[in-house]
Amino acid sequence: MNRLLNRTLIYYTLCATVILALSSPFFYFMMDRLYEDDVDEAIVLRKKEFLAQSVHELSVDDIAAWNRFNRDIRILPDTIKSKPKDVIVDEEFYDAMTPEWEPYRVLYTDVKIAGNPYVLMIRLNLVESEDLIVALTWLYFTVVFLLLIVIFFVTRITSNRLWRPFYDTIEKINQFNIEQHQALEFAPTRISEFKQLNHQLDRLIKGNLKAYRDQKEFTENAAHELQTPLAVFQSKLDMLLQDPAVNKNQAEILHSLYLAASRLSRVNKNLLLLAKIENKQFTIMEPVAIGNIIKEVLPYFEEQSLSRNLLIDTQIKSEISLNACKPLVEIMISNLILNAISHNKINGSIRIEAAADYLRISNTSEQDSLVSQDLFKRFTKFSKSTSNSGLGLSIVQQICHLHDWDIQYDYIAGNHQFTVLF
Amino acid sequence: MKILIIEDEVELAESIRGYLEGERYQCDIATSFEEAYDKIGIVYYDCILLDIMLPDGNGLKLLEELAEERKNEGVIIISAKDSLEDKIRGLHIGADDYLAKPFHLSELSARVHSVIRRKQFDNTNKIQVNELTVNLLSKSVQVNNNSVTLTKTEYDLLIFLIGNKNRVISKAAVAEHLSGEMANMMDNYDFIYSHIKNLKRKLTEAGAADYIKTIYGTGYKWES
Repeated sequence: MNRLLNRTLIYYTLCATVILALSSPFFYFMMDRLYEDDVDEAIVLRKKEFLAQSVHELSVDDIAAWNRFNRDIRILPDTIKSKPKDVIVDEEFYDAMTPEWEPYRVLYTDVKIAGNPYVLMIRLNLVESEDLIVALTWLYFTVVFLLLIVIFFVTRITSNRLWRPFYDTIEKINQFNIEQHQALEFAPTRISEFKQLNHQLDRLIKGNLKAYRDQKEFTENAAHELQTPLAVFQSKLDMLLQDPAVNKNQAEILHSLYLAASRLSRVNKNLLLLAKIENKQFTIMEPVAIGNIIKEVLPYFEEQSLSRNLLIDTQIKSEISLNACKPLVEIMISNLILNAISHNKINGSIRIEAAADYLRISNTSEQDSLVSQDLFKRFTKFSKSTSNSGLGLSIVQQICHLHDWDIQYDYIAGNHQFTVLF
Repeated sequence: MKILIIEDEVELAESIRGYLEGERYQCDIATSFEEAYDKIGIVYYDCILLDIMLPDGNGLKLLEELAEERKNEGVIIISAKDSLEDKIRGLHIGADDYLAKPFHLSELSARVHSVIRRKQFDNTNKIQVNELTVNLLSKSVQVNNNSVTLTKTEYDLLIFLIGNKNRVISKAAVAEHLSGEMANMMDNYDFIYSHIKNLKRKLTEAGAADYIKTIYGTGYKWES
């Protein structure tokens, strides 16, 4: 209902109705006046005709016959004094045919027939105002109806033709995805507003694309540039650790520095990985057996899951082979398992389920349901654990994106559950 | 043993030299493509550490030169650009290993150790530390000719420790070495402790001296 076309139609209908409704009394009076004037003119004309032609040929004896055949031009005796003379007035006469009282315009004027004074009455029937109103109302309705039909079709046609570039633009914007780094090609149009719209949109989109590219490049460059100083930092720590003079307190400080350094390098590596995925640097697709990858990856997490005494239940329902980028699938599965371990509780459990069309990893946790819209955002953290880089799920999401897979998060019966739908 | 460190970041090169010289390697540093090229032409190195992003040229070119001249140097690429293509290309041209920055010096040292060992033809398959013998081919360990049964992790740990003889290895480096880059996403180093403990126990029970020292809960050291 909120479409431009419907809105236009509603406004047109309202406008047409209001204008026609307001103008109808005026129109009525105008019609009435015009009609009266016309009738009056006719009366004056008949009087002239009568005076110019008929009056000379009439004799006193003809008057009775004249009156018998002429209903509207009658010769009356000049005894009628009550009527105003030489002015056209409104008067009603009873019509036996209808039968009802009908409005007339009447003119009384003195004439001499064969030297004798008479009164000439010329009258013309007015269409009843009531009839006029009915007729006008019908006319109005017809006009409104026709007008609306015309408006409807005109609007349809204009909206479909005039607004075509507009709808085209909307369609293209809907499909726009900044991650595809592709500026939009709008259909050429001669209408200046649309030209302007497209031009401005183009400008905005290009600006956004540039900002997006710049931001990505910046992240990438920053991460790259950080690798070397980070390597220097870490190597100096390694050197310091060799010093036999290091005492217990200093060793503890060194340990904290090691932790910070490894966090830093982890965030950095993940940022670089994200940049690489977004830059579509992983293009080699090959058949990947999900079950095998799970089996290959799991041993790496043995240590970590043992330290929390986690029970890992793996169910590979069928041997699935997907066309995918193998290193990325490994990273995705690792990140999901890692996520399930690091947010787990002591003595908790992890369930890994792989079937032909999905991979599901669920884990127990002390945390309640997570807010799913922020879940995949970069640097969103749900626990106080400082080791979490806040990028793991973003990477998972990007990898799903690249393969056209869906990722879902559910919280079911105390279990956090991530499902990748192939 | 001579090692050439080709790295334009002087501080990093110095650290590497400091660490490796502690292991009785002789180290030269080249901070540019030109310098590296000249040095390779004059001196024979057992191992070359090659940063492929040099200010005046791509390190991979240097690798190509080495391959053309059929030199027998072991080459380990160290790169800030952890790119799969570079890695594959580098290994294809003839590099022996690839290490992405930032890395632990202990990890680098272990790799250098392993590369040099592979390049030597005389005694490649065995590491002998006093009463301890490690057979690298069969991955078996013997103390005074008594077999010691180690898990894969314990074996890796042992090799890593021996590869960094008399150097302190940080827990972070051990964790990264054992669980691989992929799994090393958590700062949970607790699991190392049990492995170290088991390894120590197995070796001492077999009659070896207690070579593994713990340094204030920060790291470990193989003293022999």
